[in-house]
Formats: sequence, C-alpha cells, structure tokens
Amino acid sequence: MKALLRQSVALLALALLPAAVQALYLRDKIPWQSRVAESDLVSVEVARSWGANALWVDARPVDEFERDHIPGAVSLGQDHWSELLSQFLEKQWSPEKKIVVYCSAESCNLAEDVARRLRDESKLPNEIRILKGGWEAWLAKK
Amino acid sequence: MNGKRIWFFSFLCFSLAATTQAALVFEKTTVDLNPDMNASTAVAVFKYENKGDTLVHIKAVKPSCGCTTAALAKNDVAPGEKGEIKATFTIGDRSGLQVKTISVETDDPKAPQTVLTFKATIAQALEVTPNFVFWQAGEAAQPKTIIAKAGKGVTIKKVDVTSSSGDFTAKVEPGSTAGEFKIQIQPKETTKPLNASLTIKPDVTPAKVYYASARVMPPGTAQP
Repeated sequence: MKALLRQSVALLALALLPAAVQALYLRDKIPWQSRVAESDLVSVEVARSWGANALWVDARPVDEFERDHIPGAVSLGQDHWSELLSQFLEKQWSPEKKIVVYCSAESCNLAEDVARRLRDESKLPNEIRILKGGWEAWLAKK
Repeated sequence: MNGKRIWFFSFLCFSLAATTQAALVFEKTTVDLNPDMNASTAVAVFKYENKGDTLVHIKAVKPSCGCTTAALAKNDVAPGEKGEIKATFTIGDRSGLQVKTISVETDDPKAPQTVLTFKATIAQALEVTPNFVFWQAGEAAQPKTIIAKAGKGVTIKKVDVTSSSGDFTAKVEPGSTAGEFKIQIQPKETTKPLNASLTIKPDVTPAKVYYASARVMPPGTAQP
C-alpha cells in the first residue's frame, strides 16, 4: 500500500515537471492571462451596486453597441474616436462618476485601450475600471 | 519486479511527453508593427509549417477584435507544407500601442489552440495632451493649457486652433522646445454650463485635424 502511494506521488511529481517547464515557456502566450491589473477591474455585481454613480462606456464597435448594450451605456469605440469622445465629454461625462469600460468578453482588449486613452490622453480625474468578463459577463448575470 | 515495471513505464511516458511537439509550427507567434503615420491599415503575417507527418486541419482563425480580419489561404495543411495567416488591422482613430491577438484552432491534439499576437505602435503627427479641459461652476475663469507636440520625425512650425463656440477663446503660444505648442483655452465665464469643440490643425502634409474639448460644468456638479 505504501509502495503504491509512493509511486503515485512520484508520478504526480514527474507530471508536474514538464507542466512547470511549459508554463514558464508559454508565459507570454497563455491567452487567458490578463494584462490588466486586478485593481483596474470591477465585477458586474460591484459596478451595478454603484447605481447612478457609474458611467458605463461601451468600447465595442458601433454596430455591436447598436445591437444591444448595457442600459445607459455610451458608445465610445475607437473607429470613430474623435467624434464619439467629444460627444461623451461634452454631454455625458461628469467628474465625480466612476467610469466602467467594457468590451465583448474577457479576451478582448478594447476596454483596456479605451480606459488607457481616457486616463492618458484626456487626463480624466475619474476612477476608471474595466468590467471583468465584459458584455458576456453582464449578459450572464442579467 | 512489478514496481520496477511501473517505474520504467512512467519514465517512458515522461520521455515521450517531453519530446512531443505540435505539428503546425509558427515561425513567430508575436509580430511588432510600426505602420506609416498616414496608413489606414497595418498587416501582420504569421508563417507556419506542418512539421508533423499527418495532415493538420485549421478549424478556425479568430481575431480578438472587430478591428482585425485574418485571412487564411486554405484550411488543410499537408505534412511539410508551408503557409501564412495574414492579419489586417484597421487603424481607425486608434493611437499608441495596440496589442491584438488571433486565436488559431486546429485538430492537432498536441496544440489545439495557438495564440498569435501583434503589437502595433500607432504614431501621431501631433500629440495633444490633455485633449480635454474643464472648469467647475464658479471656478476662476483662468486659462488652462493643452500641449500639442509634433510626433517623432515630424516637423510642425504652426498650429491653428479654432473653437466651435465663442464662449471659449483659444490662443496658441510656442512651447519649450521646437515642435511644441501651448494652447491656452479660456472660458468667458464659469457661472453657467458651457462646452466647445476645439479643432487643431497643424501644418502637415497630408492635412490632418485633431480635436480637443472644453467644458464648464453645471452648478452643483460634485468634485472628483
């Protein structure tokens, strides 16, 4: 019995070795690895709890926004950035609101780009977060 | 004796697992792109070869963003055959570093999914920072500065700025270095909500227009 246990542990250890090597080698290639810091993300539940203090920004292309979007969200895709940004800043933006940017899913990085531009190019003083899981997560928890 | 067999079998499995590799091998899985300043698209090419001894079927090629299309000449790759996936990225109004991925799914059990990445640095002829200035209601109607700076390798000697509204004035002054300009924006008053679009035109060929916004917040707007 002891011998069997020893061999099982040894087998597991042997399996771990190539797994560790692969994880190190593929560090930059793992698709689900997020480039966004956890502190920049917000879950659907938390963002919802902000109520009227949240300003939802849809980073997806306009056609996807027009098909459906989070109620009250503003379209701010990068295909028509200058025009949409002017409209957003002049009409919807408010300095005290928390901005929640989302795109289609966890794997898309459009929200990340839009959040970066609002911070770096527009220098908005708001707290800007990216919706964890994006539109898909919102739909799942609707 | 039985224990020795198990050890030998485990070692054999481990050795085999360590030596296996995907049949479809990409020359590079990450490509850096530096498109021309006036380019509307950027193209990344990912070359591959089937280094295995069986046919590989590419089931799907999925870009991470609607801004990218991925073209594949054929889905079946015979042993020894080479090919490429051409990803075309529409630049649109994008700027700065753009990182996009393309997921390639095959029927190869050793590598059912490969993620290809391209990093495109979108340069601007003029960098405008910040592209938005605002005043709280009742705040002193003092000018606020927007810096317009010529992009790397671009010569700009003059910048014209116009405001969509007479409620704001825009004045252009030379900056601290060549190719840098200070745009001073000033509202006439801050007692009522105002806004304006600022059109910024540098003397570059082909002509390019940049935008900024200015706004006086409505009374009662909370501080950030």
